[in-house]
Amino acid sequence: MYNSRWLALAHYWVAFAVFLPAAALGAWQMLMRSPLPAPLDDPNLYYASVTLHGTAMAYVVTTFFAMGFGYAVTATSLGRPIRGVTAAWIGFAICLTGTLMAVVAILSGQASVLYTFYPPLFGSGWYYGGATLLIGGSMIWVVLMVVNMAAWKRDNPGRPVPLAMFATTATALLWAWAASGVELEMIGIVLPQVFGFTTQIDAGLARMLFSVTLHAIVYFWLMPAYIAFYTLVPQAAGGRLYSDTMGRLTFIMFLLFSIPVGIHHLFADPEIGVGFKYLQSFLTFLVALPTLLTVFSICASLEIAGRHRGGRGLLGWIAALPWDEPMILAVGLSLVMLGFGGGGGLINMAYSMNSMVHNTAWIPAHFHLMFGGAVVIMYFAIAYEMWPRITGKALRSKRLARWQLWLWFWGMFITTIPWHITGLMGQPRRVAIFDFSDPLLAPMVPLAVMSVIGGFVLLASAILLIVVLVRSQVGDAVLQAPMRYALAVNPPVRVPASLNGFALWNTILLMFMILQYGYPIGQFFVLKSKVPVYEVTRQATAAGVR
Amino acid sequence: MMQRDPPALELDNPWPRIGWISFAVIMITSSLLGFVVLSRYQANSEPLDIWGAICRGLGISADTGAAASPRPPVRTPTDLAWTQATLDRIRAGNAERGGFVAMNCSACHEGSAANPSHLIPTLDGMEAEAVFKQLADYRSGKRSWGVMNAIAKALSVEDAADVAAHFASRAGKLQANSGERIPQGGRGFRQTDVGARLVFAGDPQRGIAPCSSCHGPGGYKIGAPVLAGQYPAYIERQLAAFAQGIRHNDIYEQMRAIARQLTPDEMKAVAEFYGAQQRQLASRD
Repeated sequence: MYNSRWLALAHYWVAFAVFLPAAALGAWQMLMRSPLPAPLDDPNLYYASVTLHGTAMAYVVTTFFAMGFGYAVTATSLGRPIRGVTAAWIGFAICLTGTLMAVVAILSGQASVLYTFYPPLFGSGWYYGGATLLIGGSMIWVVLMVVNMAAWKRDNPGRPVPLAMFATTATALLWAWAASGVELEMIGIVLPQVFGFTTQIDAGLARMLFSVTLHAIVYFWLMPAYIAFYTLVPQAAGGRLYSDTMGRLTFIMFLLFSIPVGIHHLFADPEIGVGFKYLQSFLTFLVALPTLLTVFSICASLEIAGRHRGGRGLLGWIAALPWDEPMILAVGLSLVMLGFGGGGGLINMAYSMNSMVHNTAWIPAHFHLMFGGAVVIMYFAIAYEMWPRITGKALRSKRLARWQLWLWFWGMFITTIPWHITGLMGQPRRVAIFDFSDPLLAPMVPLAVMSVIGGFVLLASAILLIVVLVRSQVGDAVLQAPMRYALAVNPPVRVPASLNGFALWNTILLMFMILQYGYPIGQFFVLKSKVPVYEVTRQATAAGVR
Repeated sequence: MMQRDPPALELDNPWPRIGWISFAVIMITSSLLGFVVLSRYQANSEPLDIWGAICRGLGISADTGAAASPRPPVRTPTDLAWTQATLDRIRAGNAERGGFVAMNCSACHEGSAANPSHLIPTLDGMEAEAVFKQLADYRSGKRSWGVMNAIAKALSVEDAADVAAHFASRAGKLQANSGERIPQGGRGFRQTDVGARLVFAGDPQRGIAPCSSCHGPGGYKIGAPVLAGQYPAYIERQLAAFAQGIRHNDIYEQMRAIARQLTPDEMKAVAEFYGAQQRQLASRD
């Protein structure tokens, strides 16, 4: 692990330390939304909790995990120490400061704006400042990833960049492009309001800029899981990667297609014309391509491993896979969740079908199944894979780890499938209180209760995760297991320059950005649609009003 | 060799070619579908033409723009403003010619034959600005009263200035308001006579300014008619009209707020106080 050991461990621990309380908040929120009695029954707390849960899970856990994973991959895949460790620690400190600022602001009840900000609703400046620092600090990581890959290429002319590093740099570039939207929103719109330079805010422009980030950030979260699919899973299965080129193409396509698609989050926004909504809906469908490519590639790689291990017949190779390995179990469960979540995603991204589910409980159900399920379960598997490498101590134990993964899998399904259905029945999202005695809502009662049960199964799994990681951390050092990445069936000897770097793809992406966002953003400078902000306020409610 | 990426725009290399051609195909296909096909068809109307479809695709429609609620027409109390041009026009009034025009006015505004209940004001000695403004308001319909609207419409602006000059030049019942403030006793809050107290001290607790600050004696404001010597019945009737919103042609509508605060007894007291002013002032001289 060279000099990335403590760097990666610190990032991982921040991520998981935030993860556990955020999971507890999630379980409480499901209880709060259900007809069952909930402790601290107060809608104001619910909205603060949604903000904290969303900010923690979507920004803090993911950013810290991706950064830690990036540092570990850089050192291990390039086989040499990371350059710029001091800068990396400075970035870590900035991100941590930002996180603390945001958390304090949310806990004070002054920033219940939900994690997607929603101007002209306006919360505490500390929250926005914290978010800006967190995202800004992660840009140091972006620069370090690019610098390390470039330096390696300079030192190894003619050699292909290892796939794991190539994919990590793609992730970093994706995040840099994606974060530009929210950074512009913060610096151009929100912070001037915080400091009192402006009195009015263009909510349409702010939402537009946030949408640049809003979908690509999902792929930023997703990328560590995909990197694990390509580089760790075939290795853990005892086989080889089906195709190195396919991996490179996948990550290039994610870079190209995950960013100019954000308007599919704004299908109901009146400022944007139908043409651009359709255009980005069209491009969103293209994002399915790298996912399908990945599913094919991973299944092929697993089949190679399964047959290598003696599996015979059409499906016999599946049984022959080492399912007791957390990584293999996780990828299996992840692909099942990816199938269901992806199907739901196709409905969200379709311009016409989206109107059925827009702003309903279907949406949080979808991204919990997709991100909270398919992606985060791979975070767990990555942690189980990396912990022994970082600490030199054995995982205690694989059996507990498998329990944890299975609990997460079933917890996520029990939570999200009924949640999807209540969404189709018309239950809105981001609402604290429902009158379930209403005949229209009464059929949702059993579904809402099921979601609560799933929520607590998930909480149990989250606790188990921390137990396994802490137990592994405090054991005796016995191993010296270097990190190994899967070899391809045909290891790359020479790859075309365009598949070994990002100059071409960054240029194409720039053109995409100009054509897809130039007009939709530019129009706001003509529309003059600014409105005054309104502050987060506590709503008076009598206790026990449900 | 592949030490460096080839130039991204170099179409001779296979990957840049694949990349840019795919980019072009994606953009052209999706743009045609989005801006020409999809934008063209509407749910309950005829398909749009190509230009209309592209505009709709961009989000430009007839109602593009910030949300606007229908605006009621601006209501102003009067069309007249005290500009230099207005004042010059009034000052140019010819009293001699005005006397000729004012022969139409005398039947009602002079003497009591046609005005037995004194609901029509006397105008002898009224400032030219006040007469000119009321004629302008009658003409534009900002004030309405009986035959006055028709009469004012029959007069040109020049006629109005002449008539105003004519009435201002006549010595009569009304006391010329010089704007001089002479300290006198009996003009404070402790005055027991309700009319005198309201005229000289007002009632600050109810937001009532002293009448005399604009209408005299002592105070002066352009356009505000002098009241000392005016018929009490007329003053009382006008206060009631301001209070009920029937009359509202004072430029800042300040009379609305004042008149609504007054009780009928106070209106009567104020009117009688002003009506008695001529005799008092005359006897003092």
